[in-house]
Amino acid sequence: MSLAKLADIDRRVFYWILFIALMVPFLSPIGFPITLSPNTQDLYDGVTGDEVEEGEVWILNFGYGVSAWSECHPSVTVCTKALFREGAKIIITGTHYDVELTYNKLQDTCRADFDNKVYGVDYVFLGYMTGGESVVAQLGSDIASVYPQDHFGTPYDEIPMLEGIVDNADIAGVLSSDTGDYGGHFMTQWQSAYGTKLAEIGIAMNASTDLPRWQAGNFFGVSVGSRGGAELEQLIGELGEATTAMDSISVSHLLLILAIIVGNIGVITEKLGGNK
Amino acid sequence: MAYPTATLDVIGLWVGWFLMLMIYSYPLYKENVSYRFAEHLFIGITLAITAITNFSNIMRMCITPLMQGQILMIVPLILGLMIFTMLIPEYRWVSRYPIALMVGAGFGLGIRGTIKPNLQDAIIDTITAPTGGGLIDWFNYLWVAVGLVCSILYFMLTFEHSGALKTPTRIGRLFLMIALGGYFGNTVLFRFTMLTGRAQFFLQVLKLIPM
Amino acid sequence: MSNIFKQEVVYAITGIVTLLMIVEYFFFATNQIWAETIRTWAVIIFNISLFLGAIRLTMSHSVRIQEKRRDWQFSGVLMAIFVIMLLTGIAGYISTGVQTSNGIYNWLFNYIYTPLGATLYPITGFYIFSAAYRAFRARNIDATLMLVAGCLVMLKNAPVGEAIWVGFKDLGNWVQFTGQIPGMRTLAIVGALGLIAFGFRALLGKERGFYAGGSE
Repeated sequence: MSLAKLADIDRRVFYWILFIALMVPFLSPIGFPITLSPNTQDLYDGVTGDEVEEGEVWILNFGYGVSAWSECHPSVTVCTKALFREGAKIIITGTHYDVELTYNKLQDTCRADFDNKVYGVDYVFLGYMTGGESVVAQLGSDIASVYPQDHFGTPYDEIPMLEGIVDNADIAGVLSSDTGDYGGHFMTQWQSAYGTKLAEIGIAMNASTDLPRWQAGNFFGVSVGSRGGAELEQLIGELGEATTAMDSISVSHLLLILAIIVGNIGVITEKLGGNK
Repeated sequence: MAYPTATLDVIGLWVGWFLMLMIYSYPLYKENVSYRFAEHLFIGITLAITAITNFSNIMRMCITPLMQGQILMIVPLILGLMIFTMLIPEYRWVSRYPIALMVGAGFGLGIRGTIKPNLQDAIIDTITAPTGGGLIDWFNYLWVAVGLVCSILYFMLTFEHSGALKTPTRIGRLFLMIALGGYFGNTVLFRFTMLTGRAQFFLQVLKLIPM
Repeated sequence: MSNIFKQEVVYAITGIVTLLMIVEYFFFATNQIWAETIRTWAVIIFNISLFLGAIRLTMSHSVRIQEKRRDWQFSGVLMAIFVIMLLTGIAGYISTGVQTSNGIYNWLFNYIYTPLGATLYPITGFYIFSAAYRAFRARNIDATLMLVAGCLVMLKNAPVGEAIWVGFKDLGNWVQFTGQIPGMRTLAIVGALGLIAFGFRALLGKERGFYAGGSE
């Protein structure tokens, strides 16, 4: 088959090949080893051990919706488990309108850890907020002005764990997980303004913007999409969704690179033919 | 989450499975009635969820405090309602007031917040030489420093990229190409992970793999 | 006179609020009540303004149904599900303060919204695949560099890369942690400088493009 004919193949053929190829590794796992990246190690070190004191309050912000569950949720699950096991308390906020679905999923994936905790004492779900940089800045000044009640309608000052929690000074750290740039907003309005510890659990697409910030010290750690999730699952010793998906990710990436190589064979042969 | 047993949940799971196939009928087959049906269903449902979530937000942040005696909360409520004059052409100018407040707050916060992390910290990290590093560390340091300078020169569009600026701006462009290539590589992981999640769901509903 | 209220007062408000935020940050040790109040108002106004999109979309689809334009039946589906979700959500909110307490709303949220939301965005993964085959050509040095950097990062992200050759991990790490840093950092710096310049133009009343009917 000539290269010109290859280029004429209906693109739907490629879509079917990809769709089927993605499913095969789930039916027949391969188990490629996963090595750790320094940014993920830093993130894990920042939410475990000496970096976290018992009783200190962290904010976990859900900035991702159902479409990015496979990217961000495994990392969020591991970080939640790690913080709970260190005895930290967690305030869960959200900047995506389906945050309640994500909160329910987190309870499902961290079932054993949540069963040992009491709502309002060890964790609280404040719910949805929106307003870009303004709302993040206001959250740093006065949390109760953004959340006069939690998601379930309980007034702020009736929630035991929020007693004395007024602003950024009372928050030990922030884990921002998002598909947009709320991590950047927390960086400009919390980390650079008040020095609050901040880490990003982002989609892979944000890695290119987040890694320079990690290198500059603005983030204490960065998790890069599902790959970061798989690495974190290895670190905590509880393999889950991200590790399971890595074989399928490998197959899809390999297919894409093969497609790029095949597509460029024509260009390369043209150039070699021209040089002769 | 285990495979549900309640009838409504099982029905919901299969409804979701078929909706997924209806959406995928577009790339895998061609645009068709079922795809358009699913697409419009999604838009309608998202619209409603957004409206209700924002409504509950406004109740929580504005209306409830107003009812509890914070009279000043009437101001953002009135300003917010003024936004809707955007729908009436002859009174559209009234909506500029709430927009002015939002834009002013956004710009002020942006200006004050961006200086330290995006300028100061970035430049300090770039110019900080490695202490006791080997050859590779020094190569990386020079790569970042020279690359940053050349790339910034590329964005100086008020000067023509000729003469003394020709070579550095050309080099800057190459550095930007590498950055965009890295960005593309990460984007691929993001997109394929989402697809992988759907492939997994496809098999889980059919009970070919555990949920 | 009316022009002052339509333009000058508006620009003055933008400038004053911008200045307020900057002064609070640089000149006061603790947060100031006036800046906090303005920020809270800005957030509330932002929340209210999100209804504008819902109103416009509802108006446009209602017109399509009334005039029976092409594919008006799908607009009917859209409006029907919108009304059902809205009413059930409000019913849930009124009864318990949480919209998902209504069974119908909760079921639709979990079993209609979730699979649709999780499926629509990943379609772009298919398009990346066909685009990589058809459009990603190494025709010159710029495109080649971009292609090579992209492939190295892909082979680093996917565990198969390291399984094929351990060098892919090292090269991919180099691109990820050093190679792309100058370019991405440049974009951040240039973006920050642009934001500051744009903000000062807004402060001085010279930036008017974002006001509705800005030419009046």
